[in-house]
Amino acid sequence: MAAPGPGEYFSVGSHVSCLTCLDQRLQGEVVAFDYQSKMLTLKCASSSGKPNLSDVVLINLAYVSEVDIITDRTETPPPLASLNVSKLANRAKTEKEDKLSQAYAISAGVSVEGQQLFQTIHKTIKECKWQEKNIIVMDDVVISPPYQVDNCKGKEGSALSHVRKIVEKHFRDVESQKSMQRSQAQQTQKDSTLSS
Amino acid sequence: MSMKAGGNRSKPGGGNAAGAGGSGGGRQNLGRGRHSGKGPAAVIFNGVYANMRMVHVLTSVVGTKCELKVKNGAVYEGVFKTYGPECDLVLDAAHRKSPEPSAGPKNEDIVESIVFKASDVVAVSFKDVDLNFARKEHKGVSLRVSDNFTDSAVSGRINGEHKEKDLEPWDGGETHNSDSLESLDTDVSNGWDPNDMFKYNEEKYGVLSTYDSSLSTYTVPLERDNSEEFLKREARAAQLAEEIEASSTYMARVALENDERSEEEKFTAVVRGERETHTLSRENKYIPPGQRNREAMSWGSGRQNSPRLTPNSAGPPAPRVGLHDYNQSPGGDQRVVNGGPPRMSPKSQRMPRAHRVPPSRTTGMPPVVDLISHTTPGDVPATPSNRGNSSGGTWSSVVSGAHRPRSPRQNNMGGASPSSASLPQTGTAPAESFAAPTSASSPTAPSPAPNMVASLSGDVKESRVQETRQTSPKANKDGMKDSSSNISRPVCKGLPSLALDHRKQIDNLKKFSEDFRLQSSSNPDPAYELMITKPPRDSADKPTDLASLDKASSMSPEDRGGTAPSTGAINASKPGSPAALSPSPSGTEQKRAGLDVTSQGVQTTAMSNFAGPKHEEKEEKKEAVQDQVRKSTLNPNANEFKPRFNTQPKPANTPTPPRPQGQPSPSILVQQPPTVYGQPVCFPQMYPLTPVSPGVQKSIIWKSPAMYQVQMPHMTVNQSKPYRPGKVPNMTQQRSDQHHPPGTPTLMHPATAAGPPIITQSPAYSAQYFTCSPQQFPSQQLVQQMPHYQSQAQHVFSPVMQGSARMMAPHAHGQPSLVSSSTTQYPEQTHTMYVSPGPMPQQYPHPSATLHPHPQHPQPSATPTGQGQQGGPPQHGGPPAHPAASPVQHPQHPQAAAAAAAAAQALHLANQSQQPMYSALAPTPPSMTPGPNPQSPQAAFPSAQQTVYIHPQQVQHGYNPNHMAHVQQAHMQSGMVPSHHAPPTHPPMMLMATQGPPGGPQPPMAQTALNHIPVSSTTPFSYLAHPQGKHRKQNTCLLLAHVHVVAWLLQCSLITSNSCRWQIDGASEQKLRS
Repeated sequence: MAAPGPGEYFSVGSHVSCLTCLDQRLQGEVVAFDYQSKMLTLKCASSSGKPNLSDVVLINLAYVSEVDIITDRTETPPPLASLNVSKLANRAKTEKEDKLSQAYAISAGVSVEGQQLFQTIHKTIKECKWQEKNIIVMDDVVISPPYQVDNCKGKEGSALSHVRKIVEKHFRDVESQKSMQRSQAQQTQKDSTLSS
Repeated sequence: MSMKAGGNRSKPGGGNAAGAGGSGGGRQNLGRGRHSGKGPAAVIFNGVYANMRMVHVLTSVVGTKCELKVKNGAVYEGVFKTYGPECDLVLDAAHRKSPEPSAGPKNEDIVESIVFKASDVVAVSFKDVDLNFARKEHKGVSLRVSDNFTDSAVSGRINGEHKEKDLEPWDGGETHNSDSLESLDTDVSNGWDPNDMFKYNEEKYGVLSTYDSSLSTYTVPLERDNSEEFLKREARAAQLAEEIEASSTYMARVALENDERSEEEKFTAVVRGERETHTLSRENKYIPPGQRNREAMSWGSGRQNSPRLTPNSAGPPAPRVGLHDYNQSPGGDQRVVNGGPPRMSPKSQRMPRAHRVPPSRTTGMPPVVDLISHTTPGDVPATPSNRGNSSGGTWSSVVSGAHRPRSPRQNNMGGASPSSASLPQTGTAPAESFAAPTSASSPTAPSPAPNMVASLSGDVKESRVQETRQTSPKANKDGMKDSSSNISRPVCKGLPSLALDHRKQIDNLKKFSEDFRLQSSSNPDPAYELMITKPPRDSADKPTDLASLDKASSMSPEDRGGTAPSTGAINASKPGSPAALSPSPSGTEQKRAGLDVTSQGVQTTAMSNFAGPKHEEKEEKKEAVQDQVRKSTLNPNANEFKPRFNTQPKPANTPTPPRPQGQPSPSILVQQPPTVYGQPVCFPQMYPLTPVSPGVQKSIIWKSPAMYQVQMPHMTVNQSKPYRPGKVPNMTQQRSDQHHPPGTPTLMHPATAAGPPIITQSPAYSAQYFTCSPQQFPSQQLVQQMPHYQSQAQHVFSPVMQGSARMMAPHAHGQPSLVSSSTTQYPEQTHTMYVSPGPMPQQYPHPSATLHPHPQHPQPSATPTGQGQQGGPPQHGGPPAHPAASPVQHPQHPQAAAAAAAAAQALHLANQSQQPMYSALAPTPPSMTPGPNPQSPQAAFPSAQQTVYIHPQQVQHGYNPNHMAHVQQAHMQSGMVPSHHAPPTHPPMMLMATQGPPGGPQPPMAQTALNHIPVSSTTPFSYLAHPQGKHRKQNTCLLLAHVHVVAWLLQCSLITSNSCRWQIDGASEQKLRS
């Protein structure tokens, strides 16, 4: 505590570039710095490019060989907003379960496509789980490998049709991504195949 | 470093504890962190926990996947669960990430949770973290999860790749904003401009719009033919229209649409008509005056007054109210009211109002009065004695009544007598005149008058005291209520409704009359003697006067009783009360003289407004008056008498005196000047004023005083009782004369009859009177008046009473004021003016008549004539009583004047000044009067008069209203010609009203008087107004109905294109029919 405040080393809001002992270059805006633990938190632009997201890096300066302050910011940092702890806890729980679920699937030998499909469905419908290699959605629809639209089975109804739409769209998107990676022609072929 | 190490710093622990503060919750942690951050004393939070921003950022990423690189180069991936104070990190479902890309970890690869020591961590990378995920608010002021839909919350968590909107502050431009806003407020236009609509229609739909009402573009004109079907349809349409128009719902709705009344009128203002009716009903029901009084009291505030009082109170605020009331009140109702109850109700209302008013005014004037009264009572035992003397038991009631008037009078007297007295007091003056009569009745007063100088003060005080007492207790409260209620009721009952009250009053009156008679008879004589003879004697007599005063007071009561009887039970009660008051005043007057002086001083001070200016004028006038008085040999005595006269206003006595002392009356006249000194001053003042426009009024007023004075002597005479009989006849004659006098012819008679005596008796007075009378009245009238006074003088008490009744209204305002007002009114309404003057004389005659009748009926004289003349008789009967009361008041004023010559003079001056004021004011009232009928003027006056004034007047002159009523009634009675009477009364009312304003107390008086008058007048007017109003309304309704029908027909026509015109025609026809 007696030690100088964080502002004396790194002022919040200033941009810093660090080189870790592992030769990893980390650059970003200083969000927080703890002198005792030598922990520096930087906020970087999202690696995925999403505007409303950002990457946060927690750096232990004890293992940083080089620190460069690109720009110093004298402005007073914005006030901190209150956080909804319960919301964060729920998120942590959910993430953990998802990872465990994924791990389960992986352990079950589910194909990557299957895992991807599961992730896609899971984004829309949280109530889905792995049952062996089958994806159980809403305890009503069962998607069995190879996880195509035709593989969606269950009671005829809105649930089934809805899941089918999701699956259909998932593969279409996958195809589109592939197409992006490939040629236009291939896309058309894929499309045709999809359509077929 | 080690998680365990943190023993003290036990980790947040479970995921829930993820928050930096752990279980504490974000806020607390943050807050604490802040605190710690601010100061070194992060006792609670150690390590990282003390770093607010670190805690915040780490907490913000809880629950996100992260890749943690340790110093050995290994990378672990897991869900960031929490962190410790040493920045130890906890990852759930972590697994060591293999260098080579793999589909994903397998179950066996995943570790439930791993704790990494900060010393082992090289870097932790959180990918694609939404730092605002858990943010409750931007500024964290209020942190509720429910804030997800705030702009920040929404913008912060937009699903997908929406770019955050850049919020821009809206700037409409200052000028634009202001303009637009203003335009919205000021823009009169409603929606589109027709031309724009046409243009839009044409451009958008290709329809060329026109103003053609036939709507040929949309419909087909109705083609008329003589086919049977068409005729049927037409008949049908007509039938339907008729049905619609006749339907109650339709009428109700039309009424709503056509209701021209403002919201205030409908919801806030009290409707006169309704109120009147209510009051009527109430009166009938309300036998308990207390309620009325209360109501009146409550009304005093204004609104209430306005409604019920509307005539009165409304008058000032709004002639509208009055008009509305009139209009509103169905003609029938008004008529009914007029018949008796209505007036009564009005009167009663007025009375209450007056009472009420007094309170309000009391604040200004009344308080003084009260104070005075209180002081006086305490100071002057005599007052009590007077009361006791005056009334055994009845007196109290009577006294109360008298007191009421007196209170006003006192106010007037105290303040009014000086200033207000002259002007408002014209009203008051009448009151004074009444009082004078009473004082006269109190003949003792006359005697006191001589004493006046010395005793007058005492008398005045007494009178005042009594008055004050009366006013304060009765006037203000029950007494007032009772009196008012009684009066009003009596009046009403005089017809039917008043029965109970009348009975009570009558009983009281009878009792009083008896008591009074006894006392008055004994006392009055001495008093009269004193008065008459004493004018010179006064100085010496004064002491005796005191005794005489008591006697006089008793006498006055008696006189009043006499008068009261003459007037009728009711009248008697009122007159009696006045008389009692007057007597008491007279008796009291002497006391009052002293008291008055003090009270006057107070009142004057209170009245200062009135008095102030008036005083100066009055002083001048007084001087003139004094000069006149002095000039008149009698004057010296008169001076003494003046006070007495002032006290004498009690005129109630006058009636008696006049009769027995036909000469006395003259002598009184003469005496009056002398006596007047107290009063005379006023008179002189009045006269001076009278010469001027005000002067005339004043003169009138003074005359009234003179009358009173004369009456005073008469009072003694009356006490002797001969007066009564004499008076009665005289009164009747006078009344008739008076009534006529306004017209002159009658005046001539009175003049011839009364005039001579007066002249003979008191040259000086006569001269004065003449002077005054001339101004006010035509020479004839003056002469007549003089005679009246003389002849009346004998009768005067009764006449005075009656006259006072007329005067009362004015008197109530202020005797002087009455005069002035009367004058002013007279000028405008010569008839009214004359009438008032005439009325005065007439009244006197009437009083006499009333007196005679009174024995039989409280208001007999009045009632008979009044009744005979109009349905109003009962009211008239009531009026007499009121007049009496008013007289009492007047007496007070006189007394007050008498109280101290200087004070009196000052008072007179004040009165004079007031009078001028009144005159000035009066003009307006007159105008009012001129426009509408006399009655209307009154109504106008009431309206013109402000509630405040009314209140004071009412308070003081609660009686005044009665007086007014009496006056009116008197007029009615005396003046066979109702119209004349009404006008006169009204004018006085006007005057009163006008006067009222000048003097706080007086104005009220005037108002009250006016109010009363208005009531009576209103009744007639109400008839007129009502009919008109109704007709108008009806017409409007019809028109509306027609319009509606037409509209309906139009609709029908649209439906059935053919019959449109026919239907319309039918509708119109129907309308025409209707």
